[in-house]
Amino acid sequence: MPRLTYNIAMVSDFFFPQPGGVESHIYQLATKLVDRGHKVVVITHAYADRKGIRYLTNGIKVYHVPFAIIYRSATFPTVFSFFPVFRNIMIREQIDIVHGHASLSSLCHEALLHGRTMGLRTVFTDHSLFGFADAASILTNKLLKFILSDVDHVICVSHTSKENTVLRAALDPVMVSVIPNAVVSENFRPRKYPPEPPAPNNGFGNATPAVHHLGPNDPVVIVVISRLFYNKGTDLLTASIPRILENHPNTRFIIAGSGPKSIDLEQMIEQNVLQDKVEMLGSVRHEQVRDVMIRGHIYLHPSLTEAFGTVLVEAASCGLYVVCTAVGGIPEVLPGHMTVFAKPEEDDLVVATGKAISALRANKVRTEKFHDQVKAMYSWDNIAKRTERVYKGIMGDIPEADFYGYDVGNTAAWNGESHSGVRSFALIDRLKRYYGCGVWAGKLFCLCAVIDYLLFVFCEWVFPRDRIDIAADWPRKVYHSDDDD
Amino acid sequence: MLTAAPHLHVRRPSPTTAEFTVSTYPRNPTPALRLLLIAVGVLRLVLALGAALLLYAEYWTQFFTLASYQQSNLWLLPAAQHEFLLYHTPLGRLAQEIAARTPSWALVPLCIGAIYVAVRRIHVEERLLVLRGLGIQTRSTPGTILLGWFGGGAGAGAGGGPTRFIPTEKIRDVLINEAFWGFGVRYILVVVVEGEEGLVVVFPKLLPRREIVEEVWRGVRGCLFDEGGAGEHHHLQQQRPEKKRRFKDTKRRSGAGDGKKSPASTKENSGEEIRDRS
Repeated sequence: MPRLTYNIAMVSDFFFPQPGGVESHIYQLATKLVDRGHKVVVITHAYADRKGIRYLTNGIKVYHVPFAIIYRSATFPTVFSFFPVFRNIMIREQIDIVHGHASLSSLCHEALLHGRTMGLRTVFTDHSLFGFADAASILTNKLLKFILSDVDHVICVSHTSKENTVLRAALDPVMVSVIPNAVVSENFRPRKYPPEPPAPNNGFGNATPAVHHLGPNDPVVIVVISRLFYNKGTDLLTASIPRILENHPNTRFIIAGSGPKSIDLEQMIEQNVLQDKVEMLGSVRHEQVRDVMIRGHIYLHPSLTEAFGTVLVEAASCGLYVVCTAVGGIPEVLPGHMTVFAKPEEDDLVVATGKAISALRANKVRTEKFHDQVKAMYSWDNIAKRTERVYKGIMGDIPEADFYGYDVGNTAAWNGESHSGVRSFALIDRLKRYYGCGVWAGKLFCLCAVIDYLLFVFCEWVFPRDRIDIAADWPRKVYHSDDDD
Repeated sequence: MLTAAPHLHVRRPSPTTAEFTVSTYPRNPTPALRLLLIAVGVLRLVLALGAALLLYAEYWTQFFTLASYQQSNLWLLPAAQHEFLLYHTPLGRLAQEIAARTPSWALVPLCIGAIYVAVRRIHVEERLLVLRGLGIQTRSTPGTILLGWFGGGAGAGAGGGPTRFIPTEKIRDVLINEAFWGFGVRYILVVVVEGEEGLVVVFPKLLPRREIVEEVWRGVRGCLFDEGGAGEHHHLQQQRPEKKRRFKDTKRRSGAGDGKKSPASTKENSGEEIRDRS
């Protein structure tokens, strides 16, 4: 039996050439999905020098839709003016699954709504954590609830993020999967790592990298790489650095990143005359991160909120011992022997950093092994495989009981058809789901859904399907599966 | 009903020449359709003449009172014809009546609109002529019949319309591109011209579908680059049986048509030659 492959459209406002975490996530995931024999197109808005349709490595096709940018200032009209273009792309690329990324991307929300209207399966990946209290969060949460009440499946990057999303959007937890981010571990090798993997049969089993001990007089270098914002915990950092240096004089800090809080850090350095111990690099490009990291021994991450914390994985992959605050999804990221956790407060951060420095000085931490361990834990191949399983689940290609992990046949427990399995495309069922979103919001959402549906019918009439050319496929890769998936 | 979906007609008068015509004129019109087209033509003629008559009557009623009838140096027609047209034919009297009763702000735009509808072309035809060693020439029918008569000039042969000639040494590549066009994405055949910022779109009005674009693309490349620079393409074609996928690869290699035969004549001369032949 041939392997099942899908045509997938990744939709997000955030994509290259703009740098960032979501952008590279989409790219890496798309690349690996293409390797597994799927067809992936990315839909994003046009950037200044990036318009039209382009191909990336591996045959990923990118649509830089010029429409979204025209109505950028107003969100509401974008909702419907994007639909004809979106529909055209979906038909010409014969898309089965719409996969939206990032909860702050309006393009993604629109695509999910239109995708459902067109009768496509939809997946949403949430990359961030949100609060519940302030007005902006409430609005975002309402919008998210609107979109997610009709999405087939949601992917979160950590269990904390899953909890957050389930609460914000009032979702059934079984339709939310956790698939973390990954790193390209080849790009984050430690300093003395052998560049080539050793020959498989050299008589001594697998060669472990050389142990590098820290001499008694060598300074411990602590690296901080983050944007200097309030939510990244820069205030904590500013308060703790003088105390850490007081307790452990033979310590150096390297701080990379920029942001509004950098002025506080500079003031702290001048007040305490720490210019020779704290080095501020300013913002560094993503490909330079590894070069900064390998200069240190400890990576300090004082963030106040974090959905996943890819940078921690990168640091551990570079062979750094990680000190971090136990907030958000951070505790899930790395195993205990690579990290020292602190509460998000000044005293505890100082104590935890002290512990980490002592442990390193005692040479108790085998940081040279971290890279191989991280490599085994996080790989995009694995992420793509898990994402593919989600796709199979929502397309109904693996049994529901298998996918959702419980007896879906037991309708008594799941209240008839309201369970979150394969969702019906019937307009009335969709409206029922939207109506449940709130007293006023429910009606408004229903109205939007109905307008969207009417627009769809109108498009089918004005731009008939058979007048739309089917795009030529990039040659598909044949995936030789080494596992029984 | 009167027009058909754009379809392709290829003419190869000699092995080194090919003409690709994309047209919306029905491919094999039935006698009934022919009659209908003739009837529509006559109807358009009547419509145009009627609108012109109305405009003339309006002009007359607006600017010339009976008092100024004697000093008639501003008449558009000689006095005898004028008299005859407006006073001695039933149509003329009818036109005068309508012109007198209808306000001019409604009548004038309506008449102009009617004339525009009458002279607008029903069928669009776009041509691409490829001459090996010389270059390619694009031509598309203008929007109205009048432009074909007056604006055609030397280039107006069969079909008329503005032409554009691109000599071979200026052609860097001919390729198929995808572009956002209106509320969708279309396949377009483009010519990359040396020293120009934009691309030259072939068949810009009709934008035929992918099958036609691909066929024309193959034909153009075969005809234009067959000797000399096209050796590599043929190797490529032999290596890969799937033709549909091939064009994408070629698309990415810009400047693929470099080692071409240099044409014997200069740009101006070759332009002259094309005109003579057509």
